[in-house]
Amino acid sequence: MAKKSINEKCYVYINGKILGYVKDGRAYSDEVRKARRSGLLSGEVNVSYVKRLNAVHINTDNGRIRKPYIIVENGKSKFTSELREKLAKKEIDFAYLLRHGIIEYLDAEEEENALVVFHENEIANDTTHLEVDMTSIFGFTLNASPFPEHNNAARHAMLSNFIKQAQGLYATNFNLRFDSRSYLLFYPQKPIVSTAVYQAANMPKHPSGQNFVVALTTYYGYNMADAVVLNKGAVDRGLGRSMFYKMYSDEERRYPGGQKDIFRIPPATAEGYLGEHAYSKLSEDGIIEPETIVDEGDVLIGKVAPPRFLEESISAGGLEEKIRDDSTTLKAGEKGIVDSVIFTESTGATKVVKVRIKSLRVPEKGDKFASRQGQKGVAAYIVPQEDMPFNEQGIVPDLLLNPHSVPNRLTFGHLLEEIAGKAGALSGKIIDGTAFAEKGSKRIEDYGKILEEHGFDKFGDEVLYDGITGRKFRAKIFNGVVYYNRLYHMVSNKLQVRSRGPVQILTHQPTEGKARQGGLRFGEMERDVLVGYGASLLLKERLLDQSDKASVLVCKSCGNIGYYDYIKRTVVCPICGGTSIAEVEISYAFKLLLDEIKSMHIFPALKMKE
Amino acid sequence: MVKKEFLVTPGEPVGVIAAQSIGEPGTQMVLRSFHYAGVASSIATSGLPRLVEIVDTRKKPATPFSYIYLKGKAAKDFDTAEQIVKKISEVRVSDVARRVLENFSTGTITIKLDEQKMNANELTPRGIASKIEKLMKTESAVSGNAIQIKTHTKKAKEIRMMAVHISKLTVNGIENAGRAVIKQDKKTEEFYIVTNNSSVGQILQVDGVDTSRVYTNDIFEMYRTFGVEAARNTIAKELDIVLREQGINVDKRHLYILADAMTFSGGIKNVGRRGLSGEKESIFARAAYEETVKHLINAAAFGEKDDMRGVTENVLIGKQILLGTGTVSLAIKKEDLAKISEKKAKK
Repeated sequence: MAKKSINEKCYVYINGKILGYVKDGRAYSDEVRKARRSGLLSGEVNVSYVKRLNAVHINTDNGRIRKPYIIVENGKSKFTSELREKLAKKEIDFAYLLRHGIIEYLDAEEEENALVVFHENEIANDTTHLEVDMTSIFGFTLNASPFPEHNNAARHAMLSNFIKQAQGLYATNFNLRFDSRSYLLFYPQKPIVSTAVYQAANMPKHPSGQNFVVALTTYYGYNMADAVVLNKGAVDRGLGRSMFYKMYSDEERRYPGGQKDIFRIPPATAEGYLGEHAYSKLSEDGIIEPETIVDEGDVLIGKVAPPRFLEESISAGGLEEKIRDDSTTLKAGEKGIVDSVIFTESTGATKVVKVRIKSLRVPEKGDKFASRQGQKGVAAYIVPQEDMPFNEQGIVPDLLLNPHSVPNRLTFGHLLEEIAGKAGALSGKIIDGTAFAEKGSKRIEDYGKILEEHGFDKFGDEVLYDGITGRKFRAKIFNGVVYYNRLYHMVSNKLQVRSRGPVQILTHQPTEGKARQGGLRFGEMERDVLVGYGASLLLKERLLDQSDKASVLVCKSCGNIGYYDYIKRTVVCPICGGTSIAEVEISYAFKLLLDEIKSMHIFPALKMKE
Repeated sequence: MVKKEFLVTPGEPVGVIAAQSIGEPGTQMVLRSFHYAGVASSIATSGLPRLVEIVDTRKKPATPFSYIYLKGKAAKDFDTAEQIVKKISEVRVSDVARRVLENFSTGTITIKLDEQKMNANELTPRGIASKIEKLMKTESAVSGNAIQIKTHTKKAKEIRMMAVHISKLTVNGIENAGRAVIKQDKKTEEFYIVTNNSSVGQILQVDGVDTSRVYTNDIFEMYRTFGVEAARNTIAKELDIVLREQGINVDKRHLYILADAMTFSGGIKNVGRRGLSGEKESIFARAAYEETVKHLINAAAFGEKDDMRGVTENVLIGKQILLGTGTVSLAIKKEDLAKISEKKAKK
């Protein structure tokens, strides 16, 4: 019984700290709420009654995520039609609604106490709040794309990511910025099919895509499995064209002992000198000049640094201090034009140089494109314009999307955007594609009407002709205008090949990764495949000849690894001193294993068959 | 008779192919382990857990079953089959008792029997009492549906332990046989018995049981009662059942290879550290798998020698493996051949 009496007290917490207790928590929280709505308390105070704990939580601290709702009292929305009219006439504003307790912000905890409905006609007796707008169930990226309510949720997750990866006009001061990497679309267009949120966020002022004419058709198998076919004519005219900027920077670092780096063309005596040719593009100050065409291996910032270890400079002994070349070179596989060079100072008062390289990125095979409907694709073929399908007016699509991309993924929004975009392009108007603004069937009717007015099929189908044969396609082809983004995943930044190249010091095996000119791993499962096929020589080639093949001298008498003595000009075994030694080919990894076994005080003897 | 064309080529790495053929579809199985709700027959572990159970050679499966086929009249007649079920189906004291009461002051245990359950199993209180007397070597008194047992001790712990022991005693059927149920084969309309335990040895002695067709999914029980060959077949059959259930079509020969590898030594070896992989001949192959240091140190302590005949070892040192195209090697050098023909000519 004692336990129950404690529970009868409803504790009140402010920002997690206990304040006191009340008898009836629910009534108390209602009272606080009332005070907030009347303006006695700040609108940033949130209160909730937690039934499970029989406690009242009042939160006023920062960092809570809050969302506005229209207050509903006694089954009636407080946002009346008169207020709506006044708001439309701009007699009142949002702040007025907040001040007068018509709209309030709820945090996650208070939301648990609220019963929210989407529409005014859904209001019941126990309803407490009304959603400001249906679109508020989506986030920004989703609301910035048209017709999200017609798409599968899985596609929503994808398109929200793609929008963030789109190349465009990411900032208006891009010329002054030194981002480590940036992408700039040459001719960004505002979307024909826009949304209220997109407009409100001022997105049309810095768009990140272009309106493509898209036909939903196959093209000789070139757009199978999420590949897309582009029109070369359109690409040549600037479709999807962009510039890639990359920044290289270096700093004149200071070291303990008064030594420091110096920007200059390194002397040929410097340790790690790359050869005269590599520095040929540098100006006198050791920094590259703007508008220089640079290729991989070219030095951008010439710099000399003191030796890494103190002993080196002492042991050198000579008058001239030993120095090390620490220049910045353009990475393998990259080329471009020096766009801009700046000198500046770091917070540590050291000289800093930043070099921005630009390189033109014309769409090519392997570049990634995506619509705002979660439909991504990789350009697989860029067709000469004369080979593209065309309609009777001579309109040639910019992009051919495989019709198989639609049914399984349930991206009806894509289809809707095609007709909407087409209607917008024909009528010269921006089409509103805001979520839930209109019923789908109504939309199709509206856009169909516009299409028919301009002499097109109301469902967007058209008779197309094959550019190669000139013959009419047997089926009508659905086409329209879709806003496409060129995403920043481009082959030219990812392509890498290796035939020979650097190896790891420890294992003598090829390095891994693009930055280190690495190879692709021939792993355990790949090995099993060759074993399973019985291709023993191919297996040996992959794992030995093309990897860490090593020639090792093995003592025939004791089985230890020997060496060649250059002074005596003989082979010697360091253990037994014998000179009968055979040269065998093994993997360096095995030699390493033998060394490691020896480090465990185990002597592995190699016995050889003749 | 096997036609020569159907034989596998010498040097074909059948083991690797079998491993890949089972392993690849196995990766899809993890994602697709679905369950039927409420169907009694599907309570058995299936999918990946069962597959793991088989290759790990667990001493007892999580859901043991045995299938007992009947011969003669019993196979066709339900009543006769039921008689056999009564002989087999295990009934414990706890199955027929309503309550088991301990009296610590007098040192007696009272078992109150459930009349309905007793009748269903055709048991009498007196029969149970005599059975308990025999097994526990004590005296008991029967009054109505209650049995009073003397414990000859006053220690509470001993009394409690005895009570627990008594309630676990088998009073009817075969010990550890489990609950037996009659089922009918849909095709042949033959009656057979399914039990939820794997103890099969004593069941073989029951009249009317077709001893040639008794089967359990417990590999070790099959091994104990019928021998390795049976265990090998059971492994292959159980693997087949698991894979088939998941809609995976793996050739039986791959499963036979695996089953053979597990049983060729005469016992049952699992696939792993304490079995096939851990008992490989090559030191390097064992060290490459698990417990590297242990194998190397033991090899050093006993002065072991690696013949370098397996795949792993040869891949490690970078030699051509002795499989597939590496199977063949030169038997006689050209010069030696000339010598031989010379010798022949002399003769």
